[in-house]
Amino acid sequence: MRCFSFLGAVLASAAGLWGQMLDPALLLKEPTTAWPTYNGDYSGRRFSPLDQINQANVGHLTLAWVSRFAPGAQGAIVGGEGPESTRNDALGFFGARIAATPLMVGGVLYFAMPDNAFAVDARTGRMLWHYFWKTKGGIHIGNRGVGMYGNWLFFETPDDYLVSLDARTGKERWHKQIADVKQEYFSTPAPVVIGNHVLVGTGGDSLDVPGFLEAHDPETGDVQWKWWTEPMKKGDPGAETWPDDYSMRHGGGMTWLPGTYDPELHLYYLGTGNPNPVETGASRKGDNLWTCSIVALNVDTGKIAWYYQASPHDTHDWDNVETPVLFDGVWQGKPRKLLAQAARNGYFFVLDRTNGEHLLTTPFISTLNWATGLNAKGQPVGDPKKEATIDGVLVSPSSNGATNWPPPSFDPQTGLFYVSANESFSVFFLSDLDPHPEGYGAAEKSAGSYGSSLKAIDYQTGRIVWQHKYPSEGGFGGPTGILTTAGRLLFTGDSSQNLIAFDPANGKILWHSRLAARVTNGPETYLLDGRQYLVVGAGDSLYAFTIEQ
Amino acid sequence: MAAGAMWGQAPAARPAPRAGMRFRPVSGLDAAAVERGRTVYESHCAFCHGANAKGGESGPDLIRSVTVLDDEKGDKIGAVVLNGRPDKGMPKFPLPPAQIADIAAFLHQKVFDAAQRSTYQVHNIVTGDAKAGEAYFNGAGKCASCHSPAGDLRGIAAKYDPPTLESRFLMPRVGGFEAMMSGQGPDPRTQTKVTVTLESGQKFTGRLDSIDDFNVSLTTAEGEYHSFARDGDRPKVLVEDPLQTHLDMLTRYTDTEIRNLTAYLVTLK
Repeated sequence: MRCFSFLGAVLASAAGLWGQMLDPALLLKEPTTAWPTYNGDYSGRRFSPLDQINQANVGHLTLAWVSRFAPGAQGAIVGGEGPESTRNDALGFFGARIAATPLMVGGVLYFAMPDNAFAVDARTGRMLWHYFWKTKGGIHIGNRGVGMYGNWLFFETPDDYLVSLDARTGKERWHKQIADVKQEYFSTPAPVVIGNHVLVGTGGDSLDVPGFLEAHDPETGDVQWKWWTEPMKKGDPGAETWPDDYSMRHGGGMTWLPGTYDPELHLYYLGTGNPNPVETGASRKGDNLWTCSIVALNVDTGKIAWYYQASPHDTHDWDNVETPVLFDGVWQGKPRKLLAQAARNGYFFVLDRTNGEHLLTTPFISTLNWATGLNAKGQPVGDPKKEATIDGVLVSPSSNGATNWPPPSFDPQTGLFYVSANESFSVFFLSDLDPHPEGYGAAEKSAGSYGSSLKAIDYQTGRIVWQHKYPSEGGFGGPTGILTTAGRLLFTGDSSQNLIAFDPANGKILWHSRLAARVTNGPETYLLDGRQYLVVGAGDSLYAFTIEQ
Repeated sequence: MAAGAMWGQAPAARPAPRAGMRFRPVSGLDAAAVERGRTVYESHCAFCHGANAKGGESGPDLIRSVTVLDDEKGDKIGAVVLNGRPDKGMPKFPLPPAQIADIAAFLHQKVFDAAQRSTYQVHNIVTGDAKAGEAYFNGAGKCASCHSPAGDLRGIAAKYDPPTLESRFLMPRVGGFEAMMSGQGPDPRTQTKVTVTLESGQKFTGRLDSIDDFNVSLTTAEGEYHSFARDGDRPKVLVEDPLQTHLDMLTRYTDTEIRNLTAYLVTLK
């Protein structure tokens, strides 16, 4: 990796239109000169049509800039409802970690870490402003980023506020409470803006609260609609999958991640989290709708159009929130609007996204041992012998899952779906013996792992066309985000701090660069001043790569 | 390129685990107040709200109660205790402020215990058949081909409690997250061995320090560190994990075999 003086771009930045507002038409196109929403576009494919960086020149990919970001109040615009504090709250469980996929609009990158939002010159990495939120608490585990509407930015905080900032200045416009941190809610998602709806989810597994998705007005912040992930009372659709009102009102189903959207069908596709109590189903017999499901919601009303439950009655913490990826493909000879998901429970699903019709289910890890097979709807049938017992059961995957939040990718040029996978084991011990357990209800002990790999799945058959197993020794494994491009490249990270370019057709490694930390977000790419950049977050830093010209 | 970029100097620094670093949260509540609160709760509240505060026949669950969750040192709970909920049949309890504060401490501890999974207790896991476990150890499990109760496993049950003992035979190498949680360093017996063979035929063997698709590094028995660039299958790299059999077993064990093995191993005091 060579560093070089990037004087040309620095000069160009002076002429750039900083803080240019987001043209909503950009949201309906494949991402080229902007990355205007979490997944680049609404499809969740994380495929870029750019090919300036391609197989022929990727060997010359070189660092344009690297920039570190320090969370905390120092030098920041300060807001928030919490106590006066100089404590650096984003240095939570993982330390300062960029899990967000920055938006890039008008030459400016916008991203967040827990309690912190930043604007950065996309040409140089120079910070333009920094906003810091004084927190009341909540688990500071990660933040997936910001949403944008015109000049307005939106991000969520661990203590459950939706905060809107002026993208030009970083000054706060308003903040709205979306949930109660004292009930153990904490919020990590990146808001998704569709039309004049800011879609906001939340999280929190510790004390059995119900999940929801709500739409906010981008101007006023007012709630337009709210969709609960469980039925609220006996007699409501889905209530037959719970024993009583009390269990469904404490049924979990968190909305941890941004969903995807089909503008023609006007449907928002969202994965929902696990039911609660998390690791024991004693007090919630039944399928527990709409937890661990893919749901299609009318984006104007929040009404559910259809659902598909990937893990009926989950007892292993396998949130089904992994990106529901949308693409148009050929299914048994006919063109069809498809939705595919590589789920945390270890199965790959393909559905018809117009109506939720099930098309395919196949496992994508070899160690999976918790299901006895599939039912007529293609849903895995959980083996009751693999639910937590006092004396323990060995389960694969572990609660971290066969994959997790880092975004997958679908490449229309190869027709392959790419996912970062883990083959791990855990023993689940039932710890809460009450007939009405609370929280997780079980203790889990890690029992080892066969390691992590990058897998390329043929969506028509579920067959793994190629996989690359990462050699590694110790350290944290875990999945990493993926980007594919028309330059016939796939970018992702390994657990040894390498950013790697693969040939998406066959898994051959074409380029790599070792960073100062492992890749912690989904890589993105955009064209700026006619030059294609690849931007990736690793720990507290953003790295921008380009082809030397 | 496969050039053996060597620097036979000081061993590479593995990140040293911080001694005693633990991520177990603490409630921060006064344990004596929690215990006093338990006594007051049991005599005044348990009849309706259940012995464990999860709700009874006439009183609701207090652990998931928004009033309890919003409470700070009895400021919300106190009002309910003193005034009762006449509309719901809850009488008034004219308790002094100190006792209300103690009840609050007890309930907040119950909330903490439910919400903090890293504090959950594993109960008795020794439910297997020790004789069957011994037979598995010497037979189908092939444990005896590497281990013996009179040798390396002598007194093992005195060293570890049953859940730890079971964890240690399922995966003896404590790594990654678990290592961070426990603050334990690597056990030398579980360290992976690697042999790097250059095109010249020169071989380097030692403890594997790091490996990815682009580099492999090792420390020899003499303490010399060597690092090699990797390019596909050049140079040749042979990784030998002493725990490979343990890993392979994870897809072979039945839960019954694991329980029986645990029941047998806990007899090796």
